[in-house]
Parts: sequence; C-alpha cells; structure tokens
Amino acid sequence: MRFDLDLPAWKWPFYVMRHPFEGYDDLRWKKGYNMKVAWVIVIAFFIISVASAQLTGFLFNDTYVKVFNIVPYFSSSIILFLTWVVGNWSLCTLFDGEGTMKNIFCVSAYALLPYLFSEVIVIIASNFLLRTEGGFITFFRYLGIVWSVVLMISAMKTVHQYSIPKTLVAMLFTIVAMVIILFLAVLLLTLFQQVFVFGYSVYTELMYRFSI
Amino acid sequence: MSFMKKLAASVLAAAVSLTALAVTASADEPYTGYNYDWWGDPIPSQNGFVVDRVVDGSDLGLDQRDYSDQTSTMQEQMKNFAEPSDIFIDQKTGKIYIVDSKNNRLIITDENFSPDNTKIITELKYSSIFPESRSTVKNTKFKAPAGVYVRTNTDGYTLIYVADYDNNRVVAFNEDLEIDMEYVRPSSDVYDANVTFNPKKVIVDSAFNVYVIVPSITQGAVQFSADGMFNGYYGANRVEATAEVIAQQFWKLIYTRDQIIAMRRSVAISIANMDIDDEGFIYTVTENKTADTDILKKLNPAGTNIFINLGYSDYTYGDYATRYYKGNNYASAITDVDVDTQGNIYLLDFATGRVFQYTDECDLLFIFGTKGFKNSQGTQKGTFRSVSAVESYKGKVYVVDNIKNSITVFRQTEFGSIVQNAISLFNEGLYDEAKEPWEEVLRRDANYWLAYIGLGNAYLNQNDYATALDYFYRTSRAGYNRAFKSFRIEFIRANFTWMLIIVLVVILALIVLSYINKARKKKKAKGGSQ
Repeated sequence: MRFDLDLPAWKWPFYVMRHPFEGYDDLRWKKGYNMKVAWVIVIAFFIISVASAQLTGFLFNDTYVKVFNIVPYFSSSIILFLTWVVGNWSLCTLFDGEGTMKNIFCVSAYALLPYLFSEVIVIIASNFLLRTEGGFITFFRYLGIVWSVVLMISAMKTVHQYSIPKTLVAMLFTIVAMVIILFLAVLLLTLFQQVFVFGYSVYTELMYRFSI
Repeated sequence: MSFMKKLAASVLAAAVSLTALAVTASADEPYTGYNYDWWGDPIPSQNGFVVDRVVDGSDLGLDQRDYSDQTSTMQEQMKNFAEPSDIFIDQKTGKIYIVDSKNNRLIITDENFSPDNTKIITELKYSSIFPESRSTVKNTKFKAPAGVYVRTNTDGYTLIYVADYDNNRVVAFNEDLEIDMEYVRPSSDVYDANVTFNPKKVIVDSAFNVYVIVPSITQGAVQFSADGMFNGYYGANRVEATAEVIAQQFWKLIYTRDQIIAMRRSVAISIANMDIDDEGFIYTVTENKTADTDILKKLNPAGTNIFINLGYSDYTYGDYATRYYKGNNYASAITDVDVDTQGNIYLLDFATGRVFQYTDECDLLFIFGTKGFKNSQGTQKGTFRSVSAVESYKGKVYVVDNIKNSITVFRQTEFGSIVQNAISLFNEGLYDEAKEPWEEVLRRDANYWLAYIGLGNAYLNQNDYATALDYFYRTSRAGYNRAFKSFRIEFIRANFTWMLIIVLVVILALIVLSYINKARKKKKAKGGSQ
C-alpha cells in the first residue's frame, strides 16, 4: 500500500485500472470515492453501448438498427448498473459487508473503465479492419471484459472487506438479487398499470352515467 | 315507363357487376412476390414469375383414350393424372416425362403438352439384345412409380430411369421401352438387412452411375454403377447438433454398452430429393421443418458439400422464420430441387407451396406460387394444395401438384427476364455490361437487393471502390469486405506521407514529454530532500 498517494478524484479510476490488486486498497485508504466521477463513467457506459450499436463498422455490426429504440440500451446499461448496486448493497449489508451504497456505486463504476476503453477501441478498429482481421476485435472485446471482471472482484472484495471465496459467492447472489429486483419491478409496473386502467374505467363509467 | 326504368337499372347493374367481375378476374397472381432485406425481414418485390397455364389430364387428351380393359373405378381415375409425383424435362428435346403414380404409368409428352405427341407407358418390353434378362427381370409393369430421370449418352442413346416404388426397383429402359437394366436391393453386407428398398427418386450422372433415394435410408443416396453394382452411399446428411444430441454424447461416456444400445439413436434426416447439374454437381434437399442443417447441399463428386456455412458465408434456404398464421405454423419444408441450364436453383417448399429461385451462388432471386386457402382448396391458378415436384425448361417453371392433379407452368415476367439477363452477363464476367440491366432493375424495384450487389461488383471492377462500398453497404458483407480491402490499400497509398508524419510527430512529442516529466520529478525530489 502506498501512503504517499495524493491523486485528484478523476485520476482514481485510471489508477485502480492500472493496479487491479492493491489499487482498491489505496482507494479505500485515501477515500477516493467520488460520485461525480462515477456518474460520468456510468453515463459513458450508456453512450458507448449506443455507439457500439450505431458506429461499429458494417463488417462487424450485427445489431438490428433498422428501427432504433433507445430504451433497451438505457435499461441494459444504466438501469442494469443501478440494479447491480442496489442488489449488492441489500445483500452485503446483511452479510457483514462494510461498503455503503455510495462506496459500492463508485467502485463498481470505476471497475467498468477497462470495458469502456476496449469498446471504444473496438468501435474505432471495426471501421478499419477486414473480416479476416476480426481476431483483433474479439481479442480486445474479451480483454476488456476479463479485465473489468477482475477489477469488479477486487472492488467487491475491498469495499466489503471479504475473503475471495466470500466475494465470489456474494457476487453470484447479487445476480440472483438483481433478477428478483427486476422481477418485482416488472410486477409492480404491471400492477400499477392495472390499477390505473381500473381507475380510468371507473372514471369513464361515471362520466357516461352523469352525462345522461 | 317503369318497366323501361327497371330494364335500364338492371342493365346498368349487370354492366357494373360485369366490370367488377372483369376487374377481379384480371387481378394479379394469387401471391405477392417478396424478397428478404438485409435484416431478414420480408419486403414486397415484383413478381419474377407468373402463371402461364395449368395443365391437367384433359389438356393431354388423357380423357379421350380408351381404358376399356380397366376396372370402372380405374377408368374414371385414368382420365386425369392421379397423384403425379415427379416430372422430368429433357433440356435438349423438350420432352416432358410425368410420373402418374396412382395410375401406375409414365406419360411422355412434348413441351406444349399436345395430345398428339403424348405417349402413355404402362408396360415395358423385355430386351431384344439381352434375352437372358427375361429370367431376371420379374415385372414389366410399374407399381406406384415415384421418380423419373432421363439420360442420353454422347451417341444419342437415351435411357429412361423410373423409380418403381412398390416393385422395389429402379428400372432403366430405352425409348423403344425395352428394359435395359434393373437396379434392385443390394445384397452387399454394407446394406442394412432390416431396411427395405423402396426407391422414391432417382438421378443418373454422366457416367451412368445411378443415385437412388430410399426414404428409409439415412446414410444418403444409394449409389449403383451402370452395371447395377452397389457402390455405397452418397451425400449423407449430418446429425444436427441439438441439445438432445449433445446430451446423448455425454451419457454415452457414462452408460454401459447395453444401455447405449437401448438409447434412442440420433440419426440424420434422409434426403428428400436431388438433382444434378450440367457440370456433374449433385444437389440434395432435406424436407424437414425443424432441421436447419443440410437443407440444400451442392455436392462435388467426392461427396463434399460446397454450400457449407464456413467463415462468413451465410446460406439460407426457404423462408427465414417460422410464421404463425391463423392457427398454423409455417416453416419451409423443401421437397424438391431443380437446377436449370444457367445454374439457377429452384427449391420447392411443400409447407407453403412456394418456389424459391436462387442464383448459382445461392442468392435469392424470386419467390412465387402459394398454397391455396382452405375454402378455395387451391382451385385458383397459381395456388397449390400439395406440391410434389419442380422442373424448369427454357425459362419456364413446371410445378406438379399431387392433389390438384395438375401441372402449373410459370413463365418469366419482363422484370424476371431483366434480372436473369443481368445475372448471366455478370456470370460471364461482363460486369460493365451488366450495369445497365441492374440499373433498370432498380428503377423498377428499388428494394431489389441483388441489383445493389451487381452494381457494387460493377463499380468494384472499375476500381471505383468508394461507390462500390456504397452499394455493398447493408447488402453484402463479402462484397463490402472485398471493396474495403482495395479501398484501404488505396487510401494508405495516397496518404502514406501524412500518416507517417503524424506518427513520427506523436512519437517525438511523447519522448519530449517524458523527458520533461523526468526532469520535473528530479527537481521535486531534490526540493523535497532539502
């Protein structure tokens, strides 16, 4: 651990990216959590997922953008991320995790950085490469994902002060928790919609009655 | 006065209804031509083929013939086709051979289906050259024949091959109806003892090797040499790697021998039909609604599939997706294949009654024909009830329906002939000459994606890579890849100096920056120690 680190807030994500194992310890020690930086990364995550669908070169682009709809991209980036944070927080507070909601949000967002970089590289490279050179694209894509996953494990381990096995189990159950949250959210939405439809039909019925 | 009024009104009404009738009668085909766009969505397209005529037994004069030797039910049945199952057209002479399965006969006619040139073959003769064949050939009549093929050798000697389903044989005879050869169930050890030999379809290659499709055999077509020797199997389908098959592979590692034998065996789906082109390539189709593998195969003489999805080629056959409509699932079940002299491939879809026309590279050209709705029962021209065979001759396409008992002849539209012209110019390597017809195609149908590929190739041939890229964008990945390769090389060549300068400047800047940084750090460290 380096005690002489004195980084500005925006440099922390890059620092943890370059130091996957002790970077988060330094971050925790120096309290480098910054919500603004984290939000910038999360919004960049959303923008890059849209860009990946729209700007990836024709030879490597398999997305159906004949009819472009922003909602799936929004829910598969920002909403997914928020669900991860909420799910992880609600699980780990019950299991002796030390991270607060803010901490979890920040470290998770910082862990996304390598993935975002690899996506940008892929988007740019896909406009210059031929199909036969597609190996580079695949390589960068997987490199980014693996790096981000390693960072995420390290982040979870540090922010909750868990052992490695406990971290992995917690992450697995976070995914389960996410599924449950999304399920309940959809349920709630449908329920509210039905309540609304019920209220509206009562209203129209009354209007018909009174208009006679 | 009132009478006159009434008369006038009724005349008017009659005239109106007549014109209305005329309008509906002159309406277009019962199907709308369509094609698939880059996204795999069906988009309407111009018809490439329209109905020319519908032929049944009375057109051939079958109802005028004398069937007094038959039973009364057969007499009635023989006045028309009864479940015709196959058609073959000799591309040189224009002779049409129709297998009239339920009537146990073969009908030979000319390209105009004229009654005078129609011959009905119900019985064959023993060979005058090989008198000993009298003892080996057991039957001179057909019994539920199912397939026919004709092959003429270089000396002009023609042999007609009929897959005689219920007689368990393929019989070959010459134009004088003398039996030349009989291909029967092989006695070889390779041939499974439990499997019957009911030939459904037959084709013959230029060396007079005979390929027989037997529905109960999944190892491929049964191959005979010209002299009747069993040569083995040809062109077997692969087993599709479904979850069940993979699971079975896993259990086989654990199970004992007896348990493995008791397991349900996963076997490939048998070939439904085949055709052979002028170059000797054999095309096989598989009629299965669920399988995606080996729907159409183009086999070289070694039995290797050329139309195989490797790398980024993506061949698709029939309708792309299963459609659910009014309580029925429609997925393509390709039941017959035909290759014409230009190399166009025709696939006949049993499920929807559609014919899919492809180029020799398997690019979709036109879709035509349809299945009749339940109440009309396919009585309308161009609709079918149960299609069984497709054949093409001189730009016309012949489709046999074995419930309607008729043959529907489609002719090419003007649009279809423009497309065909462009393709044949393109195949001859006349890319620039093909530009004109392709542009005409786009004027008539701006959605016709093959025209974009054709124009892209034309511009690529003129080394106009940027325009070629525009045409290939979202029409062809292979074409785009080819154009982009040249485009990129040209771009780098043109701008190499600039790129080199930029790279050098960046490297220089990095070196200078790191030098400055180091100096600053040194200064800082010095300051800190003091």
